[in-house]
Amino acid sequence: MATRSNSTRSRTIPLALDWLTVALGLGGVLCLYYLAPLVSLFLSVPPGELLARMNNPAVVDAATTSVLSASISTVVATVFGLPLAYWLARTDGRWTNAVLAVVVLPLVLPPTVGGIVLLTVFGPGAPIGEAAVAAGFPLTRSLAGVVLAQTFVASPFVVVTAKAAFEGVDRTLEHASRSLGKGRWTTARNVTLPLAMPGILAGVTLTFTRAMGEFGATMIMAYYPRTMPVQIWVAFIELGLDNAYPVAILLLLISVAALATLTTIVSNPWE
Amino acid sequence: MGMTLAFDGFVKTYEGFELGPIDLTVKNEVLSVLGPSGCGKTTLLSTIAGIVSPDAGRVTLNGRDLTGQPPEERGTVLVFQDGALFPHMTARENVAYAAESMKQVEELATTLEIEGILDQRADTLSGGERQRVALARSLATDPAALLLDEPLANLDAPIKRRLRDELRPLLSSLSIPIVYVTHDQHEATAIGDRLAVMEDGTVHQIDTPKEVFAHPATPFVASFTGSINVFQAQVAGTDTSLVLDWNDRQIETPGYGHEVGEDVWFCIRPEYVATTDDSAADEANVLDGNVTRRVFEGDDYLVDIAPDGMDDVIRIKLSPPVYDRLGLADQDRIRVLLAKEAIHVIGDRNGDHESASDEMTTVQSEVQ
Repeated sequence: MATRSNSTRSRTIPLALDWLTVALGLGGVLCLYYLAPLVSLFLSVPPGELLARMNNPAVVDAATTSVLSASISTVVATVFGLPLAYWLARTDGRWTNAVLAVVVLPLVLPPTVGGIVLLTVFGPGAPIGEAAVAAGFPLTRSLAGVVLAQTFVASPFVVVTAKAAFEGVDRTLEHASRSLGKGRWTTARNVTLPLAMPGILAGVTLTFTRAMGEFGATMIMAYYPRTMPVQIWVAFIELGLDNAYPVAILLLLISVAALATLTTIVSNPWE
Repeated sequence: MGMTLAFDGFVKTYEGFELGPIDLTVKNEVLSVLGPSGCGKTTLLSTIAGIVSPDAGRVTLNGRDLTGQPPEERGTVLVFQDGALFPHMTARENVAYAAESMKQVEELATTLEIEGILDQRADTLSGGERQRVALARSLATDPAALLLDEPLANLDAPIKRRLRDELRPLLSSLSIPIVYVTHDQHEATAIGDRLAVMEDGTVHQIDTPKEVFAHPATPFVASFTGSINVFQAQVAGTDTSLVLDWNDRQIETPGYGHEVGEDVWFCIRPEYVATTDDSAADEANVLDGNVTRRVFEGDDYLVDIAPDGMDDVIRIKLSPPVYDRLGLADQDRIRVLLAKEAIHVIGDRNGDHESASDEMTTVQSEVQ
């Protein structure tokens, strides 16, 4: 019953690949590429054996070191990074861009280079490093070294993300608060910070996750005490791939938890 | 009481835009600042509040120099266009943020009739509710001067009118200097004790709303306050009254202090132009013409008339009953009277022309 023009059209529809379908097809390949190895990792170790190996003292030590150091690094990055982010968000001019470039530098620097750079300041041969050793507080091959390496590499995340969050807060609200007789600090604490909080928390989460996964700079600054990424590497080199799995899975779980946190924050009502 | 907000020689330059110099003094009164968007009125407020720093000039409040002081130490409170309520707080928390005590919050909530919405989050409130909360929050600081930046601009007409009518007695009762910025002439006149008209960064006129409307100081003030009929003419005689030559027609006016041959602007509000049957066509101030356009504005009709032999167009405002009685159609012939007393010649000089606005009132009742 269909007319000629109708049949022509119905024949062309399946042929004409719509652009979104193509995009999804290409993107789908990428998503599979992300997911397949993760699933494969879980399948390669039986759950019982995984739990047994988790009790290995080396694994427990590495996990403790990683969580402790990443927590300290995140606190340090937040304490120094938030004021900087606020300043960057509320200042215009040549200097802002220059400072922002400095902040982004660790992001574009290969982490191993970051580690080398840090060694030239905090290493045993450098004045600061030497003084620290003399004071009984070595900055390499110590928890402090791990924190220094992680902070260097991970802190830009909190600065950049919090800057965007602060910029998202309407300045009119700050003006209103100050016009009501509240000073800068009261205004920041009661108006700006709460409104920027989802973004700040996202930045803190990213920083923590990045610190947990930090390998390159940490390797060079503090091979001991071993963090989880270093432990994975050591296990892989010395005992083979199988022995690297448990710690890898543990790190993966932490990353997934971080992702879940981020997603919860994004659905925040006032973002 | 000696509450005074004063502004001396204020100048602020933005890229390609100069504001000022402006001198203003606001006593215990409401000064409406009326002007089109971009005329600098918001910048003026922001400067008083300390959010913007001027290039030159001084702001003083009750004799205290505010220049260079941070916003929080000025005692001036700025009410923003959309209220600028803190969206993460409830209405109550917003007011309490500025208040001294919870008792004060309750009192203000009663005054502004927001008791019912106190526990709602600020970002769920309607536009009118938001402005009520914003006002309560501002008053909670017990301000020494209140600055309002188009607080009703984004509200629906009925809510706007209601809030405007409530605002007038509320603001008057505060007995502090209040600057109320708006681009709406109805708001400006309904709320202000005095009215300043601004354009392009300068103040054209400051006077009582009645006086500004009756005797605009510049053609801009005339047109912006609704005197759509602003025309240029030449002084033809000054014997018994000031007679203008307007497109070869003689127009008698109550103007004064002008010389023969001088070019002047004169204006007449559209509601003061009367249609007439019983005046002769050759009488002074009586014009015949064609209807060229009719606009129904809801409350009344605006009718454009092209007087014979003129390029200018006179616009008249007719109430619906009058409009219906006349039964006007486009190109109909119509005769209008520009009543002498209703005409204002811009730039009248010397100060002995008192009770001008009383005359206007008389004319208005005659016309109606």
